[in-house]
Amino acid sequence: MSDRLVHVLGIVVAALVVTILLAPVLLTAVLSLSSDSYFTFPPDSWGLRQYREVLGDARWASAVSYSFELAVPVALLSVAIAVPTAFAIGRSRLPGRHAIYAGGLAGIVVPISAFAIALYGVFAELGLHGTYVGLVLANTVLAVPVVLIVVTAAMARVPVELELAAMAAGASRRRAWLGITTRLLLPSIVAGGVLAFVTSFDEVVLIVFLGGVDQTTLPKAILDSARFGVSPVITAVSTLLMLGTSAVAIAAVGLARRRR
Amino acid sequence: MPAGRPVLANWQALLLVAPLVALLAGLVGYPLVRLAIDSLGSGVDLGAYATVLESSAGQRALVVTVLASLLVAGLSVAIGGLLAWYARSARSTWVRTALWVALLVPFFMGTVTKNYALVLLLADNGPLNSLLSALGLGPVRLLYSSTGVVIGMVYSMVPFAAFSLYGVFLTIDETLVEAARSMGASRVRAARTVTLPLVLPGVVASLALVFAISLGFYVTPVLLGGAQVPFMGGLIQDYIFTSFDYELASAASVILLVVGFAVLAVSLGLIGRERLLRAVA
Repeated sequence: MSDRLVHVLGIVVAALVVTILLAPVLLTAVLSLSSDSYFTFPPDSWGLRQYREVLGDARWASAVSYSFELAVPVALLSVAIAVPTAFAIGRSRLPGRHAIYAGGLAGIVVPISAFAIALYGVFAELGLHGTYVGLVLANTVLAVPVVLIVVTAAMARVPVELELAAMAAGASRRRAWLGITTRLLLPSIVAGGVLAFVTSFDEVVLIVFLGGVDQTTLPKAILDSARFGVSPVITAVSTLLMLGTSAVAIAAVGLARRRR
Repeated sequence: MPAGRPVLANWQALLLVAPLVALLAGLVGYPLVRLAIDSLGSGVDLGAYATVLESSAGQRALVVTVLASLLVAGLSVAIGGLLAWYARSARSTWVRTALWVALLVPFFMGTVTKNYALVLLLADNGPLNSLLSALGLGPVRLLYSSTGVVIGMVYSMVPFAAFSLYGVFLTIDETLVEAARSMGASRVRAARTVTLPLVLPGVVASLALVFAISLGFYVTPVLLGGAQVPFMGGLIQDYIFTSFDYELASAASVILLVVGFAVLAVSLGLIGRERLLRAVA
């Protein structure tokens, strides 16, 4: 095969894949602007009917607020757990620190439906099944790795010499850490917290297995209505969720990359 | 580590990692051990495993899950690898931006909304089938078929594979490839003899991780496969919420975990801890 052909073929495939990756988002957004009460593509009439229906239905609002009630403490808890660990990994010679880091990533790698059953047994035993506290704890296991990855990577880029200089000038280690290292890490810590928030906000498998009937987050509400019939209203909910999540997540990624 | 680095005393570091260790012990370690014990039932035997593995539903779900996950791992790493390579080597800012947007959007789109959008796209009377019909290639049954589930899972895992491989590609010295080309190697030959050996460990890590994550998929098989494509996640849910049989559910979960951990362990042996971890982050 000639070089030129391989090159052109590669670009065509990449362009095709980019189009395919973006197609579902664009389709959902386009369909959300349909005024039909059923699905047709392209829509017969256009308008904001679906959005009016979403805003007029209190169930969506309560699902959104429950998602926030879970995601905020999950994000704070994840930061509180992961940031000290990142300091220990970056600034100590504790034996087994790499194993602890690897273990901290478990929430990303473990097959989620099997993990949900493992938690199910323990939650049943401790009376955490169907409780708010139970869901916060479960989501935290999934959100901690995100903060850990972001902050540990940022920590490795903060020169130790800055702390040394501060300490040589008479600052205590605590002061050097708070005044210099933490300040430099702050964008990454915020970014990690935001990504933890997004992780919890998006989570749906654990709540299916561990949540009670009265516990409904936004993704759970969308899943339920998508399973029991396809309503055009979901396209509007999905579009709003996508816009919100993407904006927040991309801002967080930007924040984390700024300090390179 | 350079000398004079302000190293924390081990007991101080231990205090700092204590919250994470407590979380992992209480909400990952203990639940997994308990799961294994519960799966043995009150009689402490392998009866539940035999029931799962001998039932036709159990066999089918296991085979479908493992085969789909293998396929998804292969496709996601191939597609994600291609995109990551272009994201790394494209000279035009526009091309790079388009690639990053195309990767970040599905990554942050939300699990449920992503799969719901694919339901709309892949439906029998959806836009994709209209396009295929117009081209004389369709309509094809995509929704509620294993094809649809694999498409949905690949859609979810391509960004993950791309991000992990992008990190690997960044470590490659492009002048090596240029050197090979300047000495007369074709593009394909340079890729095979210079680039491939350098990226292979990263590819192995990425394959193993995508496979392990794919095993646990729940939302995609439920929404895009329905009853036609039984996955272990759905089977486990049936055991627990329809048959109220926690023992069977835990046995099925242990089987899934063993398959996942086995693959991760093999890749760990092949490429070492550091490369495997780097593929996650």
